[in-house]
Amino acid sequence: MVADEPTFARLMTAAQDGDKAATNVLLSEAGLWLERYFRRRIPPHSIDDLVQDVLIAFYTKRATWDPSRPFLPWLAAIARYRWVDHLRKVYKHESQELMDDDASEDSEEEVVMARVSLDRLFGQLPTRQAEVIEMVKISGLSIREAAEKTGQSESLVKVNIHRGLKKLATLVEKAE
Amino acid sequence: MDKFENRDALIAALTEDITPVTPLRQSHGAALIAFATVVSGIACVVIFGFWSGMINGQASPYFWISNGLLALVGASSTTALVSTISPRVGAQSTGPQWSVAMLAVLPVAAMLAILSLEAGHDHGLSLSDPGSLYWKCAAYGLGASSVISVAAIMFLRRGAPVSLDRAGWLIGLTSGSLGALAYNLTCPMDSLLHVGFWHVAPVFVAGVFWRYAAPPLIRW
Repeated sequence: MVADEPTFARLMTAAQDGDKAATNVLLSEAGLWLERYFRRRIPPHSIDDLVQDVLIAFYTKRATWDPSRPFLPWLAAIARYRWVDHLRKVYKHESQELMDDDASEDSEEEVVMARVSLDRLFGQLPTRQAEVIEMVKISGLSIREAAEKTGQSESLVKVNIHRGLKKLATLVEKAE
Repeated sequence: MDKFENRDALIAALTEDITPVTPLRQSHGAALIAFATVVSGIACVVIFGFWSGMINGQASPYFWISNGLLALVGASSTTALVSTISPRVGAQSTGPQWSVAMLAVLPVAAMLAILSLEAGHDHGLSLSDPGSLYWKCAAYGLGASSVISVAAIMFLRRGAPVSLDRAGWLIGLTSGSLGALAYNLTCPMDSLLHVGFWHVAPVFVAGVFWRYAAPPLIRW
């Protein structure tokens, strides 16, 4: 069972005072909490890397927690910041591939990653952007095939995918 | 930080290196920005000289209105800025946006005054007023704001802002408004056409500039 808010807050206060035992317990518990936080947000194989990344950020920025404020929203904000960073890297990588015109060669793993990251926010994109992202990034069609199916030019498909991915990253960043 | 084989190894290494830390206080950031504003103000007085008009009653209402609004923008944006050092989720203060919207009334009023002049109603204003084209006040205000923006960035780098775009805007609004205020107190030109454009311009220019320039400097 993961620790609750008062336990986290007590451990964090001790960690800010330099208590090693409390820090060890705190980081372990925070790791479990983060694992659960990311389980619904990113593919399973990326979770541990992201949890470690957040734990390092958590440790480095531990002075920014104000003991008069709740602990978990602080941790959630750091987790979300790192998650957005992670998504941005994925999107940047995928957008680069689009510009290189080899999007249809995405590995299965990348397609799954795109699905997990994008599905939750698809409804907020314009239809023309969402449909080409769905076709190229999830169904695996080539740019040309997507262009034929939607009646958009190939350049427009690329632009719509690029803009759609960029907008998704922004939506995630702004989501509270 | 080295890459670790697994989470337990990472936690063990972090625990081993733990040292006591003092929680960052928002009040420290506010004090740092206030100090930088005072330093800017003193530098402006040394360079441009003290204008006695605000003491002997010579200053026009526009002087007080514009500087009062700048002080309000500075206070609201500083409050919002220092609160970004600590990661949090939830609603964010919209105070800075509203205060900037209030400040924007001045350039709009100046613009409308020019249109009134064209229509033959001068309201005591004149396009031949030397202040109406004296853009250097905006440049001096921006110069003064640089000291404050450095202080704001230094403080934010110690913290952990999670919305970098917003933090960038706030650095610009804070430094632009307080920098302009620091300089404007030395400026003897106080017509609507002068203060409405050149005394408030640094807020908008610095806001847009730091919105784009600050994120790489405060990313963590």
